[in-house]
Amino acid sequence: MHLVNRKWWPWIALVVVATVALVVVAVRSRPSHSPQARTTRLTHELACPVCEGQSVADSNAPESADIRADIPRRISAGQSDQQIRDYYVSRYGERILLTPTNSGVGLIAWLLPTVAILFALFGLFFALRRWSRVPRLAATPEDEAIVRRARATADEKLDG
Amino acid sequence: MRLRARWIAIMVGVVLVAFGVVLAVQHRNEPSIPRLVQEHGPMPSFTVTTLAGAPLESSSLKGKTVVVNFFNSWCIPCQQEAPQLKAFYAEHKNEADFAMVGIVRDDETAAVRAYVDTQKLGWTIATDPNGSAALGFGTTGQPETYVIAPDGAAVCGSLGASSQADLDTWLAAARAGQECTS
Repeated sequence: MHLVNRKWWPWIALVVVATVALVVVAVRSRPSHSPQARTTRLTHELACPVCEGQSVADSNAPESADIRADIPRRISAGQSDQQIRDYYVSRYGERILLTPTNSGVGLIAWLLPTVAILFALFGLFFALRRWSRVPRLAATPEDEAIVRRARATADEKLDG
Repeated sequence: MRLRARWIAIMVGVVLVAFGVVLAVQHRNEPSIPRLVQEHGPMPSFTVTTLAGAPLESSSLKGKTVVVNFFNSWCIPCQQEAPQLKAFYAEHKNEADFAMVGIVRDDETAAVRAYVDTQKLGWTIATDPNGSAALGFGTTGQPETYVIAPDGAAVCGSLGASSQADLDTWLAAARAGQECTS
């Protein structure tokens, strides 16, 4: 006798695979805290102060080169990522952050897409509800007669 | 129902236009005054190396009215600014509380030496090997000039070339403990 009914095996396999995948993704997406990884991350988070739309990591401007050289020094001095970001914001303003802050004007960048998605979901919900209520084609008396005849034929066959 | 849809469309349009206007205004509003000066921030601490090879600590400038000019030999506005700086320096170099430092950005030391000799620049010129001074001031190019009051606050300055008249005005304001508005 089997401990678990065979029909549950695919579901159990699915749960195991999904769990393993989640664990792998969770472990691999945990950011590394090595100085090299932090430097790389910060240079991609900071915008070149004298360019348009380029990160410090991608820019050849001398200001970006200075920042690339400065970040490891600050990490070695024991500064946290946030302290380093704050330092550059104090020098160049919030425009140096490629990821908008979650306060002030930067909040708009986070809220606007969220509000738009919520509006879209609400709109979709109400539209689907309306569409499900209103039949696309109303049944004519002829249609109903066809259905009645078909059901009667089926009943006769079943009885006979 | 159609009226409501029209109102929603109008509201969405108004929001998008307002957002676009805000972005456009922000983009056009490029400042000509350095951020450090706008905020009257303290002069950042730095160590640069003079062309004579000696270290120059920002702490050695404390208590003076300091003019810090970021420049290099190949930048045309820097070359155009040089005669104004020279006239300004000649006017004030013997004043006890006055100091002027030129900090080189993005240039070769040999080229700077040749430029300084040709232009006959008399004030202290220093290189910024690790960019700490430029980062501390938050420079975004050259030339840039900062006037530091005796209390250490960056009170005046500009992004771009400065004239002798500008520099005289800024120096007087810094000495008087006033802020510069332009």
